Amino acid sequence: MLKFILKKLAMMIPMLLVISLIVFVGLRSTGIDPITFMVPPEVQSQSPEIVDQLREELGLNDPLIVQYVRWLGDILHGDLGLTNKGESVADIIATRLPYTLELSAYAMLFSAVIGIGIGIISAIRQNGIVDYIGRVLAVLGQAVPQFLVGIVLIWIFSIKLGIFPAANRVSPDATNAFVDAFMHLFLPVLTLTIGMVAVLMRYARNTMLDVLNSDYIKTARSKGIPEWKVYMKHGFRNAMKPVLVILMYRIPALIGGSVVIESVFSYPGIGTTMANAVTSMDYNLVLVITLIIAAVMLICSFMVDVFNALLDPRVRLGE
Amino acid sequence: MSETKTLSIKEQNKSAASSLMKKNIRKFLRNKLAVFGLVVIVIMTVACVAGMILGVDYSTPNPTIMRAAPDAAHIFGTDTIGRDLFARVLYGGCYSIFIGVFCAVLSSVVGAILGAIAGYFGRWVDAVIVRISEIFLAFPQLVLVMMLVAILNKRSMGNMLFVFVVTGWMTTFRMVRNEFMSLKGETYVKVCEAFGMSRANVMFKQILPNVMTPIIVSTTTNVAYFILQEAALSFIGLGVADSTPTWGNILNAAKSIQVVQNQWWIWVFPGLAISLFVLAINFFGDGLRDVLDAKQQ
Repeated sequence: MLKFILKKLAMMIPMLLVISLIVFVGLRSTGIDPITFMVPPEVQSQSPEIVDQLREELGLNDPLIVQYVRWLGDILHGDLGLTNKGESVADIIATRLPYTLELSAYAMLFSAVIGIGIGIISAIRQNGIVDYIGRVLAVLGQAVPQFLVGIVLIWIFSIKLGIFPAANRVSPDATNAFVDAFMHLFLPVLTLTIGMVAVLMRYARNTMLDVLNSDYIKTARSKGIPEWKVYMKHGFRNAMKPVLVILMYRIPALIGGSVVIESVFSYPGIGTTMANAVTSMDYNLVLVITLIIAAVMLICSFMVDVFNALLDPRVRLGE
Repeated sequence: MSETKTLSIKEQNKSAASSLMKKNIRKFLRNKLAVFGLVVIVIMTVACVAGMILGVDYSTPNPTIMRAAPDAAHIFGTDTIGRDLFARVLYGGCYSIFIGVFCAVLSSVVGAILGAIAGYFGRWVDAVIVRISEIFLAFPQLVLVMMLVAILNKRSMGNMLFVFVVTGWMTTFRMVRNEFMSLKGETYVKVCEAFGMSRANVMFKQILPNVMTPIIVSTTTNVAYFILQEAALSFIGLGVADSTPTWGNILNAAKSIQVVQNQWWIWVFPGLAISLFVLAINFFGDGLRDVLDAKQQ
């Protein structure tokens, strides 16, 4: 098992290197000169020698591959470089990333609990009221764009009812940090949760139905085990394995979704930062964020692999 | 009498195929949601295309009627600079539906060709293409799209189509590759190869038709996926240029909280258009799967 984990971990490193190389070369070959954003136009036109000197200092005249190796060295030393405005990328990431992680983690947690809960109840009480509501929700959740759900929620809860704030993460005049966080997180988390629940619920329902139709459930029933025990001990535990794997697989969609949802709620996370960086052509920032997201994704798929291997010995023996 | 007995095999196949077709159509028509989906798709597409052909005015701002609520003259109201919203939703439909269909079809074609090559040749060819697809899959698609938008450094329709196709071929690829892996061991493939049929012929004329059903179904649902993707990208302001009225671009106005608060029609109507169309495609796709998927019959 340790060997399997180490092998999977070792495979992540070349993947990250290749991704960083592609993104780096891609962004540098756009023909956009970072100097134009760093130096005011007056200085550029009046004293081109300063620009040349700066370019030499930043190493922008070197071949791309030399630049890449230098950049990679800096990253490995913990130096993420500067944005076009001269701010430290590391600082921006350090303040913005926790906000996004917080948002995604809560959405993940609630959608898991709610999605699996509804899925299981609708499998046990097939064609009951929960099953019916769940099915309608699943159909709508996959058709309505997530950001529109966010807009509707803002319209209802912020504008009509005035309960929750429609934007930002922190209020300037907040007295209780916990209450403040709750108020700001509620709507974005709810929006992301609705989208995730729509998908999870269907999986949970279908796997639970498969399990409930299997022979060992019939055996358990025929032994006279109480019905709730059959569901919880024999059904639920076996149905959960594929559902948890699906939950892991949904993480990319969750991160992609949070990019849009952050924009709806003007939430100062990594997604809005990325969108702004793309519009303002701040490529060092785009580069770092892309790599962080790729790393998070690789770690997630690594966790799926390990998780699968733990549950199913065939996976690790096959390697 | 004797004429009916001497039907050639080809003719028999033809009549069997047409009766299967009839059976499938009957089966599809029994699925009410799928028929509803198809009807909605047809009506909305025809309305949008008709709007475009009739040349409804979607682009001239009218400062005297900015932010006007829906009335008889402007049934969907007007937007923040006084353009007729109904005309914009019709035009936007043409663009959005085109983006969805074009990207879904082209990414399926790319995915199918790469999948066929990887699955049929196997070994290092397969390993290389699978690695490439894994690199693409290492990103949430929207982030990948944003990165490519940054690299291409220009917001235009062509770039957006390119970005969507480049980032959207992986699911079809995986499906086709896996099917090819198992089908290439079948006897009929071995027979074709033994007869000296060219590899391209074996791949695309003999094996591929057996994989067409799942490709068609996934292409259908991908249309909905790309329409939603375009809407999300335009909403965050990285989609096609602002002058092109896609459904997502129209909804971009709802980023302003004043619009959400005071001009509900600006976001409700395009939002409804997207949701209804996507819903219809999902129903239609599900119906198609039920009819075509041999495993369920």
